Amino acid sequence: MSEVFDGYERHYCELSANLTRSCASAGVLIGEQKKQKLSEIQAGLDDADTLIRKMDLEARSLQPSIKATLLAKLREYKNDLSNLKTDVKRLTSTDPYQDARDELLESGPADIAMVSVADQKGRLLMSTERLNQSTDRIKEGRRTMLETEELGVSILQDLHQQRQSLLHAHSTLHDVDDNIGRSKKILTTMSRRMNRNKMILWSVTGVLVLAILIILYFKLTP
Amino acid sequence: MGDQLARGEEFEKKAEKKLSGWGLFGSKHEDAAELFDKAANCFKLAKSWDKAGSTYVKIANCNLKLDSKHEAAQAYVDAAHCYKKTNTKEAISCLEQAVNMFCDIGRLSMAARYYKEIAELHESEQNIEQAIDFYEKAADFFQNEDVSTSANQCKQKVAQFAAQIEQYQKAIEIYEDIARQSLSNNLLKYGVKGHLLNAGICQLCKGDVVAITNALERYQEMDPTFSGTREYKLLADIASAIDEEDVTKFTDVVKEFDSMTPLDSWKTTLLLRVKEKLKAKEMEEDDLT
Repeated sequence: MSEVFDGYERHYCELSANLTRSCASAGVLIGEQKKQKLSEIQAGLDDADTLIRKMDLEARSLQPSIKATLLAKLREYKNDLSNLKTDVKRLTSTDPYQDARDELLESGPADIAMVSVADQKGRLLMSTERLNQSTDRIKEGRRTMLETEELGVSILQDLHQQRQSLLHAHSTLHDVDDNIGRSKKILTTMSRRMNRNKMILWSVTGVLVLAILIILYFKLTP
Repeated sequence: MGDQLARGEEFEKKAEKKLSGWGLFGSKHEDAAELFDKAANCFKLAKSWDKAGSTYVKIANCNLKLDSKHEAAQAYVDAAHCYKKTNTKEAISCLEQAVNMFCDIGRLSMAARYYKEIAELHESEQNIEQAIDFYEKAADFFQNEDVSTSANQCKQKVAQFAAQIEQYQKAIEIYEDIARQSLSNNLLKYGVKGHLLNAGICQLCKGDVVAITNALERYQEMDPTFSGTREYKLLADIASAIDEEDVTKFTDVVKEFDSMTPLDSWKTTLLLRVKEKLKAKEMEEDDLT
């Protein structure tokens, strides 16, 4: 009895391989060809569906021991089929604007093929790569932070030096202030002394002139 | 600029004539000095640094005769700046004379600043011994004037060069001193770990393992945050690598530190010396066994 099941199984495997291949190739097609491929795939999916239902009936009609294993296999096939169906749905659903985009860009949905890497291994590799990238970025960030810290330290040192210069200039200015006060006093003293000397000079000159006049007067008036 | 040169020559001739002739009211030196100044200016514009330098020296002589030491010293400094572009030795000698005059007048801070310049000129000529000498003098003068930052900067240079010519003890003392002083200052305390790292590297160059561990403990006491820093980790790892005489570990540790903050050439030279010593010790061990 399980021969029938085996036959169905083989048929299903072939079909599912075909379907995956067609899905992948439909992914890189655009426009009319894509629509054709998609209708083909849809037909294939319907066939697969019927096969699975038949396999189900067969499995349930067999003995319990084999039934368990067969049912497990069947569940796997059902999962596979549902994956294929979602893929096809994605391909069809993105159709309306995807077609127009593809025609405009002529790039073909090669990106979709990259995104739909349904492979376990591929996904793991991608996530490892992304983790490595983040580690690198974090290291780079740390390096920049340390550089910034060093810059900050040197800026602080410069500030300290400038602070000292400013304080020094401040105290020098106080000195200058004092000195200016002193020089002002000295200048006033100097000017006073100068005035005094001038006064004395004039007075002495005056006295001399007076003396000369008096002598002349006494000489000229016998 | 040919005409500048010609103008300069003209001024110079006029000044010489003034000097050699009779001057009324004894102001000939001042006038000569002024004319020389104009001449030197023209020479600077004409980029003939030698002539400008020699003219400045003549100005200085005139000012000396007038007994205005300050002006003379300033003229010597200008001469030195001109000579810097062509002939470093002349520059150094002019600066030395200027410094002597500043010391005489009592302007110690300017003297200190020019000592530092002389030291820098020696450094650019790779006369490390002389440079150390002058940096020390500059640091002393700065210390006397209480300008501690410049003093510390000069002392740092002294320590750097001392370590280069293998006077490690001196360098260690200077770095530790600077670190201790910087701790109390809010602005400078973030630079402490840099100084302690330098001191640690010098200790490593000395090659005394016990001293290194003692030193690390001392630094720990000085600055409680030091043990958390990568610098401390680097020093500790290198110390243990020396203990175990494992050159690969040493290289790994240094590479790790370098990947985060690139090491400057001074540190690289010193660490290379440590590595050579380590390798030599390893070779020795192999020979004995």
